[in-house]
Amino acid sequence: MKKDLFSESERLADITKSLRRTFELWGYREVFLPTIEEFSEQLRKGTKFAYNNEFYVIKPDLTSQILANLKEPRKLKLYYISEVLNGGIRGEWQAGVEFIGGEDIKMQVEVLLTVITSLEALGIEDFYIDVGSLKVWERAIEGIEEFKAEIFKALTRRNFEIIERLPINEEKKEELWQLFNFRGKSCEYEKLNKIIDAVGDERVFIDFGTIRPLPYYSDVIFEVYSPKIGKPLGGGGEYTFKGVSAFGFAFDLNALSKLFDGKIEKSRKKIRGELKEAYKLARELVKLGIPVEVGE
Amino acid sequence: MRFVLPKGRLFKGSLEILRKAGIELKPPENRELMVKNGRYELLLARAFDVPVYVEYGIDVGIAGSDVVEERESDVLVPLELPFGKCRLSLAMPKENAVSVEEMDGFRIATKYPNLAKKFFERRGVEVEVIKLHGSIELAPKIGIADAIVDIVETGNTLRANGLVEVEKIMDVSALLLVNRISQKTKFKEINELVLKIKEVVKDES
Repeated sequence: MKKDLFSESERLADITKSLRRTFELWGYREVFLPTIEEFSEQLRKGTKFAYNNEFYVIKPDLTSQILANLKEPRKLKLYYISEVLNGGIRGEWQAGVEFIGGEDIKMQVEVLLTVITSLEALGIEDFYIDVGSLKVWERAIEGIEEFKAEIFKALTRRNFEIIERLPINEEKKEELWQLFNFRGKSCEYEKLNKIIDAVGDERVFIDFGTIRPLPYYSDVIFEVYSPKIGKPLGGGGEYTFKGVSAFGFAFDLNALSKLFDGKIEKSRKKIRGELKEAYKLARELVKLGIPVEVGE
Repeated sequence: MRFVLPKGRLFKGSLEILRKAGIELKPPENRELMVKNGRYELLLARAFDVPVYVEYGIDVGIAGSDVVEERESDVLVPLELPFGKCRLSLAMPKENAVSVEEMDGFRIATKYPNLAKKFFERRGVEVEVIKLHGSIELAPKIGIADAIVDIVETGNTLRANGLVEVEKIMDVSALLLVNRISQKTKFKEINELVLKIKEVVKDES
């Protein structure tokens, strides 16, 4: 949080009001979680402390906290706006959604569209979403699984030298190098193609160099960023909870605050293109409660 | 493209390797901390802050692996560079030297509290870590710490202060750092830079 807590609060109030609205338009319900949880291995991040000879965690990672509180998996669409601590006393404010138990592909498409429409409703149009896949990498390292840890380290640091030093054949290294630098609109992995196609937004790319180093992700992962600031706006991915697949993401509210120009009025969705198509889209958006402006 | 380089022991080597890769950055003539060089901009920062600048939006930086690990910055590290080689070590006064396992309850002075804490945690030894900003060797001499965790290049400073190296914690080298978002938004430019520096490193080895 900023030094001037109150003026920053005004901005965050506007941002979170808009996010809540978009999340609810997509059918997510807000979840209220306790500030303090009893310590468990399942909880990530948070700040640990001891009280009456018991261990507790303050403000852990929200995805892990939701899962720790969910006894049995069922279809759930949740959102949260909360501070997350990471070992210290100052945290990061996040807003995110979790879609648990939905249909494969549909779930990913819907969450990506939630991200896009949330940003647009805030008047933030200058952003990109890079979508990657852990399964593609797992397939690529079949037969050389013993080097998995090194290869993933190379990926998260984007350091190909680590892979070059491994005792694997040149052909394989070349294949990994190609994946390392792959960026485009379609690839050999049908699942990603379907997702990208259904989302249908020119700002969404397939990028296999996109790796989010979180232990629970199982396949599709993504990162949202803007050329205007050097930190990601947020990101998310697919995970499995007790055999049920789920997909979630979180925004970094501090990053959104840097891009938000403070005027929700400006967040009118500008639509261009052929008359019939443009108005068809405008009509759909208005139905959803999104202000529109059909341009020339 | 914006570069942030560390003032101090890595500065010369950093300018040199970038020059060989075709990027001429002129060091500032006065006390300026930011200089424009045509398409490039050079920022000078404290070594400890370089990874933080890169994490928060400067495109490219050079910093020691000690600092990058200590700061736990979320940056990309595409290359290890062939200079700034040294090690991070645990040292203590010669006359009281004991092994790590015997250091329970010791007070450790260091510029690297995170790395020091992690090292002792891994070994299951409980110590108290105090952070200092420089002249670490002084701490055990005047009795405010039992041992230190610090950078060792030749070992001369340690010897001059009556300290011996008990254990090496990590090897240190200069690293090329890239901002995660710049890697995406300036994909071609950054990949070219990394490949050029890689060629320079290869030619030199």
